[in-house]
Amino acid sequence: MITAMNRRMVLRGVAPALAFAATIAGTAAAQDAIRVISHRQPALEYYTQQMVEALPEGRVTTELMPIDKELELASITMSSESDAIDVLYLNDASFQRFAANGWLEPLDDLWEKYREEYDLDDFPQSVIDSVTYDGHIYSMPILTNTELFFYRKDLLEEAGIEPPETMEEYKAAAAELDSARTAGTIMSLKPVDAALNEAHWYMNSIGDGWFDEEWRPIFNNAAGVEAITKLKEMTEHAPRGFTSHANDESTINLQQGLAAMGLQWFTRAAAMDDPEQSRVVDQIDWVAPPGGGARIANDGFAISRFSSGDKEEMFRMMAEAASRESMREGAQYAMPPRLSILEDPALAEQYRWYPAARAALEGGKAFPAMPDFLDVGEIVTRHILRAVTGEAEVQAALDQAAAETEELLASRGYYDE
Amino acid sequence: MVRWQRGLWLFFVPSFGLLAVVLLWPLGYAIYLSFFDYYLGSNVRSFIGLGNYVDLLTEQRLWRSMWTTIVIAFGSVGLEFVVGFALALALYRLNSSARVFSVLLFLPHIVTPVVAALFLKWMLAANWGFVDATLLTFGITPPDWLGDPFWAKISVILADAWIFTPLIMMVLYAGLQGLDESLIEAAQIDGASNWRILRHVIIPALIPAIIFTISVRLMDVFRFFDIIYVLTGGGPGTATETITIYTYQLGFRMLQVGKASALGVITLVIVAALLLTINRLLNSIYRGGDR
Repeated sequence: MITAMNRRMVLRGVAPALAFAATIAGTAAAQDAIRVISHRQPALEYYTQQMVEALPEGRVTTELMPIDKELELASITMSSESDAIDVLYLNDASFQRFAANGWLEPLDDLWEKYREEYDLDDFPQSVIDSVTYDGHIYSMPILTNTELFFYRKDLLEEAGIEPPETMEEYKAAAAELDSARTAGTIMSLKPVDAALNEAHWYMNSIGDGWFDEEWRPIFNNAAGVEAITKLKEMTEHAPRGFTSHANDESTINLQQGLAAMGLQWFTRAAAMDDPEQSRVVDQIDWVAPPGGGARIANDGFAISRFSSGDKEEMFRMMAEAASRESMREGAQYAMPPRLSILEDPALAEQYRWYPAARAALEGGKAFPAMPDFLDVGEIVTRHILRAVTGEAEVQAALDQAAAETEELLASRGYYDE
Repeated sequence: MVRWQRGLWLFFVPSFGLLAVVLLWPLGYAIYLSFFDYYLGSNVRSFIGLGNYVDLLTEQRLWRSMWTTIVIAFGSVGLEFVVGFALALALYRLNSSARVFSVLLFLPHIVTPVVAALFLKWMLAANWGFVDATLLTFGITPPDWLGDPFWAKISVILADAWIFTPLIMMVLYAGLQGLDESLIEAAQIDGASNWRILRHVIIPALIPAIIFTISVRLMDVFRFFDIIYVLTGGGPGTATETITIYTYQLGFRMLQVGKASALGVITLVIVAALLLTINRLLNSIYRGGDR
């Protein structure tokens, strides 16, 4: 009996120990995997899947989330120098900040080593420049993105309206098509990223842009006030809830026929013709955003400087996802930044939004090339939303935003005095 | 002191040690950081003394977010108390079989606040959310629950009330269980109306429970973060930006750790002062008795 009891006691002790050991082993195995975090949108779903398939099964784990959440998670992780993230998606604005903070691994040596194998010279110099900071390459270019003007061609034809070319025409068309069932235009004013994109368009097409040559804010001058006043007027034709709408919500509004037109990313174009998601297949068409100045961006994947994994393996994984074959297939979701693919005339025939995208690229504008623009965006979008919702007058809100921006940039060493 | 009692202080050490590690050390470190200009991106700290405090106390945003906190805190605790008390009284008067409803009423409180807030967010989503879709079906155009500054505040208050009213209901219901029934019967014999019984018998008997629930909920609601973060993110604009959301924006969005720490300390002082005042007020009412 004593022996039986002892056996049971030993088993009782050993079983949890074994379970604990298995958990530890499992955790160790999981830590071995390369952890990729990314913004969630169709093109990035495709490219992260390419990364998963580039390495043996189980080597790569991916987490996709809205961009604000991704940048927040990455900022917190990297500022604490943790190795919890290995590879991360960065757009042009966030890339500069992360590179300036010293959070990214320079890729120059690996770039040189694999230049031929992955035909890295196929990326145009302008794209290489966009992933370079302080003379070092930090990111693998994955997509060139531009905002397009989406519109319901059936509704515009019915109303006898031509696709708008100016902001005035856009406003008139949105007012004309605004009804109880269908909003005149989508507007994505959820802070920070979505609202900043929308404001960027108005600020460039009507205003004089964000800063002067010395990084002093000019968005609160007369033209800037006119731009945001126009944006505020346009919200009269936006769907209810526009202040909490980002790209996902605006895409759904277009797909479900709840809005007639508006600004949205190239990467959302294919979803309009997806019969499983869209009620407006073949009814949406695209032109370059009226007035020009909408955002263009070169986005990519970078390796965390604090990652304890094999960085060469990570680089090869990213290069596989950015290979010519992968990007040829990914062209349906996003504009590939490789010359050999961009020059392929078959693309425009296959994907009917490409001609509008090329026109949008010509008139588009990237965010100001400063590492702190996202922080400026946090200030500016907060005050623009205050103006839009009537919490403050447009001029007062922009003046307050300009004062806070100047204070922030002064504290980050932008000004000499 | 008896000799065997002399070593008892040693039993105090583990709990004090734990408290020091999880509470006092972070608090001390936050106070220390609040004297520095510390941007997490640069990793350079420069001592600026009370600079962060002066900056914060002279800026409009702090006072605006403090006012929003007070409006939301008193709005939600007030609503929770009135509804919770009414439900507790109803349960007290119901027979035992009907008390199964108390379990159902308690359900929102069992769900994690973030999950409850996500659920509410989809309920309140414009156009295709459950509330909007239902009202639109009947031809009623609802307000923009989360996009209008006024309605966003109301939505946040309602969300908090939906989650925490059951807690107040249960505490007050437990308090009612200890009520001396003979007092009510005596009042009824004397011809007192229901209102007078409530005012002069039930409420005075429940004062300790009322002080407890209001104090605990006020302390809680001043730290209000998760529901607002999920529902509105502090927006639109700054309409629902409470002091905790502002601290979060400073610390985790702008990475201004020094300033965020100073804001944390300021919040601690202001909220502590406010709660002490409220507690004193409630206690004086309690000590004053039913005069």
